[in-house]
Amino acid sequence: MAAIVKWENGIKHWATGISVIQLFALIYAGTEFDQSATSFQWKEELQWIQLPLGSLGEFVIKYSLGIDGLSFLLIALTGFISFLAIINSHSIQEKKGAYFSLVLLLNAALMGCFLSRDLFLFYVFFEFMLLPMYFLIGIWGGPRKNYASIKFFLYTLIGSLFILIVMLGISLAYIDPYETAKHLGLIQEGQNFDLEALKNIQTAIANKEIANYDLVHSFDMQALSDVNNCQTTSILHPNSGWLLNGMSARMWGFWLLFIGFAIKLPMVPLHTWLPDAHVEAPTPISVLLAGVLLKIGAYGWLRTAIPFFPKEALESANIMAALGAISIIYGAYNALAMSDLKKLVAYSSVSHMGFVLLGIASFHAEGWQGAIYQLVSHGILSSLLFLVVGVLYERTHDRQIDHYSGIATLMPRFTLISGIAIFASLGLPGFSGFIGEFFSLLGAFTSPYIHPAWAVLGAFGILLGAGYFLWTFQKVYLGKTQVFNSDWKLPDLNRLEIFSLFSLGILSILFGILPQLILDWSKYFVSNFLTTLH
Amino acid sequence: MGLTPLFIGLLLFPWISAMLIAIISNIPKSLIATFSILLSLVQFIGLAYFVFQSNGNQASIHIDWFTLGDTVFRASFEASSSAQLVALLVALVAFFVQIFSSSYLKDEANLARYYLYLHLFAAAMFGLLFADQIWIFYASWEMVGACSYLLISFWYQKNVSIQAAKKAFLLNRFGDIGLLIGLIGLSIHFNTMEFSGMQIGSVGPAPIAIGIALLAGAIGKSAQFPLMSWLPDAMEGPTPASALIHAATMVAAGVYLGIKIYPITGEDTHLFMAAFGAISLVSGAVFALFQNDIKKALAYSTISQLGLMWMGMGSDASLLHLVVHGIFKAGLFLSAGSVIHYLHHQKSSHHLDAQSLNQMGGLRKVLPWTALGYGVFAAGLMGLPFTNGFYSKENLAGFLWENAQNSPFYPIYWTLLACLGVGMFLSNWYISRQFYLIFLGKNRAQLDLEKPEKQDIAQHVPVLFLALFSLFFWTSTQVLHAEDSWLLHWFQIKIIDVPGFWLVITVCGWVMGITLTWLSRHWVPSKNYQFWPAFWPSIFQFIPWKARWTNIIDSLLLDRFLICLAQLQVVTGHIIAWIDQSLVDGILVGFSTRMSQFSGQLLSKWQSGKVQQYWILVFLTFGLFLLYIWM
Repeated sequence: MAAIVKWENGIKHWATGISVIQLFALIYAGTEFDQSATSFQWKEELQWIQLPLGSLGEFVIKYSLGIDGLSFLLIALTGFISFLAIINSHSIQEKKGAYFSLVLLLNAALMGCFLSRDLFLFYVFFEFMLLPMYFLIGIWGGPRKNYASIKFFLYTLIGSLFILIVMLGISLAYIDPYETAKHLGLIQEGQNFDLEALKNIQTAIANKEIANYDLVHSFDMQALSDVNNCQTTSILHPNSGWLLNGMSARMWGFWLLFIGFAIKLPMVPLHTWLPDAHVEAPTPISVLLAGVLLKIGAYGWLRTAIPFFPKEALESANIMAALGAISIIYGAYNALAMSDLKKLVAYSSVSHMGFVLLGIASFHAEGWQGAIYQLVSHGILSSLLFLVVGVLYERTHDRQIDHYSGIATLMPRFTLISGIAIFASLGLPGFSGFIGEFFSLLGAFTSPYIHPAWAVLGAFGILLGAGYFLWTFQKVYLGKTQVFNSDWKLPDLNRLEIFSLFSLGILSILFGILPQLILDWSKYFVSNFLTTLH
Repeated sequence: MGLTPLFIGLLLFPWISAMLIAIISNIPKSLIATFSILLSLVQFIGLAYFVFQSNGNQASIHIDWFTLGDTVFRASFEASSSAQLVALLVALVAFFVQIFSSSYLKDEANLARYYLYLHLFAAAMFGLLFADQIWIFYASWEMVGACSYLLISFWYQKNVSIQAAKKAFLLNRFGDIGLLIGLIGLSIHFNTMEFSGMQIGSVGPAPIAIGIALLAGAIGKSAQFPLMSWLPDAMEGPTPASALIHAATMVAAGVYLGIKIYPITGEDTHLFMAAFGAISLVSGAVFALFQNDIKKALAYSTISQLGLMWMGMGSDASLLHLVVHGIFKAGLFLSAGSVIHYLHHQKSSHHLDAQSLNQMGGLRKVLPWTALGYGVFAAGLMGLPFTNGFYSKENLAGFLWENAQNSPFYPIYWTLLACLGVGMFLSNWYISRQFYLIFLGKNRAQLDLEKPEKQDIAQHVPVLFLALFSLFFWTSTQVLHAEDSWLLHWFQIKIIDVPGFWLVITVCGWVMGITLTWLSRHWVPSKNYQFWPAFWPSIFQFIPWKARWTNIIDSLLLDRFLICLAQLQVVTGHIIAWIDQSLVDGILVGFSTRMSQFSGQLLSKWQSGKVQQYWILVFLTFGLFLLYIWM
């Protein structure tokens, strides 16, 4: 028994150790990464499932991973935020073993999500994230944890249902020329497959020179991104003329994928799971949720929805921008009305992720770079904000804004870092928050695809953001010192808190002054993507 | 090329100073003050050397910052002559303000934090002045706003000061949205992101929409009509900081933006700017008359004087008045600070409000040096001969007059000239009145005023030096014409002569202003009348037919309008939150709950547990199946 108890106590160190190893691996990867490469690096590809379906051809599911600039940014973020979440888990006192194993499981699923190049594999990881998150909120959450965890689960499940539909449809409709060639013995494993060979196979497939049972369907994202791989008989073919409610099948496909990921982002009006989940989740889980999980929504668009259906995405740009602007304004208004600190931060997340959508909708290099930058920046800042709230909550178990006043006198260091977090989040230049919002707006203004009114609306979101953040700062930190309960002890930050809060704050300042530290990673991803898109 | 390292050093030095102050914040307070003053002296000397060496030439830095798509963002800075001049002003005032603060705030516990903010402000301000890249300009613009927020809320335990800080920041941000949109517009119109690359050339001047958007930002920063109400409130911050930020430098950044965009915008934008300046000039001057608090009166006076600069539309006339005003207004604030400091430390006035005019009067006997300085600064504001103010104001009038001769919009220019005359007369009135109410006559509260035991050198030296800088020999060697001076030559400021009739008007303005001061010397405003709310009724008390006009104007109040607008946002927030919780969430959750309940109930009815029913179902299904097959 004693051994188990001891092991239980040491488990946190184990988890910390694992995440530190992961961090070092990421740093190594960062130094070895070639930023100027145009394609994925460190590809890993194994055959996983092969399913001959007779006249339907053959299904191939691969275990294929790879890193490019976009995924590296996000796995680095995942590694760092997970590390911070783990070292800040001291409030978890019961069932530690289960807790830390679930957090590490979540970490693995997130990494898998950002690394997969196979849609099926991506989907598996995407679904797999649900499970640990559900238990983490459901077991270690606050008073309404059951409601919140079920809600989170159902929302995400519906989203993944939409994704599943498109995934099955598109993989049935598309032929993977590379795998087909391999199946026919035209090329060997690992052999170079140049553009000419690709063209040849594609024409052969289009002219029906290859027998049906020799056609290979796969979930390879690259193959699915090339519309030439689509079978002419399929309704997903651009010339099919199939309409449902006035929308072509491809349009349906785009919007289903879009909504599936929009739930995750979250986009108004599909966001209501987020405040509940945040309020009930323990601090480190909130940090992971806001810092990393939300990014999968945008990542999904950039990896699947837009490359699979580029023309449809361009046509829908204006609606996307409108939805983004609405998210910005709507989230900000909601935050303005919140009296619970965590809810305020949660709604501010909705507002900030709206900038990501607005930037993506611009289909413009600046907007996209801004959106990707905003993903990383929001990952840092929302984690920082949730940790700040966590510091207060741990001391008092109270998150009502009007229960605090003037704690700057009691906790000067905490006030300094909270001030940094708040000014960075409201988009003050010099901090990372500004760059992301600013370039998203710049892209939206210069983009020919969207109406400038949406950009102006987004710009007003910045003002509202300043409003609710300053109001909070003034209420909680400034003024005469007065707290709701005189028994509350409010000691200033301890060493661990100083380390985790200030490391995030310093990162935010660093990326704010030297934005190229992030922009350089995503540069080639964006320029390649946009040149093939236009 | 040789100047580039020095230039970079000047841009970085204030940041380094701020960092040094943060690092050594635990050493004794007097040492911190001395150290900080030394740092700003080094900055000033370095800047002066830089200006001397560059000798009217422009030094510039262009470094590749980062690339976005195909666009290269360069970190570019340029020391144009106007930037050099304003930077000298900033460094000079900052240096004197730091000396003054070491005495004024010697009892303050958080002195290091104060000096840290001052250096941060200087850093951001130099960035703003020298920025050539529009986004560095915007970033610095926001940073000075943030420093202003920090300094206004310096005494964060006071509720009024944090309210004022929030108001200042939000109103500034409101304008900054305009600036953001305007700068994006500029970069699209001229297809470059550097001010130096923007040439009218083939594309023509920026359209008025861009001009208005840019000026919206400047209106917020310069506290012009209609976003003026934050500046009087901002006086809750420490007085020396007000002198630096809310009088001499930061608020003039709006004018500086006007100077930057003067060559690249058309006359329509210039007139728009001047019109808002004229409104602010007159209304600010009126409100300065109706203040009981001396700092608030000076704040309204700042609004009014900034309006004067705006009427210069960003030309050289604006620039000259910016610098001249910066010196004398900083001086006025520092002298007012001395007065407040003195009254605050008097035993007999301990329980009273040290900033209220009610207990002033007759202070010339106890504060002779301050009175002398205040007199010189007030003369500068009035534009009396032998002060720099005389030349800069005449120059402004000359600018408007010359434009009135050559422009198709001459009626507007004549109107502006008329406003200028009225504004100058009102300025003469309020500032001479204020001088009288503070220093002359008898003490109105019958306080037992003691002479300070020892002269406070750290407070007197800055005031007297600034008074020296306000005297005429900087801008001219002659009495009635601004010419032959070092300042004008070095920075290539164009001077326009003013016709003789304007001198007559000016003299009339002085006479009328001082006469009115004498006539109204017994009347002290009972409180601080705010811009619009409750102000108009008080004016109409003098007039018998006040009647219902008061109500009508009172309901159009500007500040109240802004407050209502802000409150509306919060109310909207609450409504939307309610919608979010009850409708959006309610519909999604409610609908899915209902659906699942309904389908669950429907399905559960089939599971009755009665074997007979199951048999019936089985037969029915089988029967239907057979029917389907045979059909």
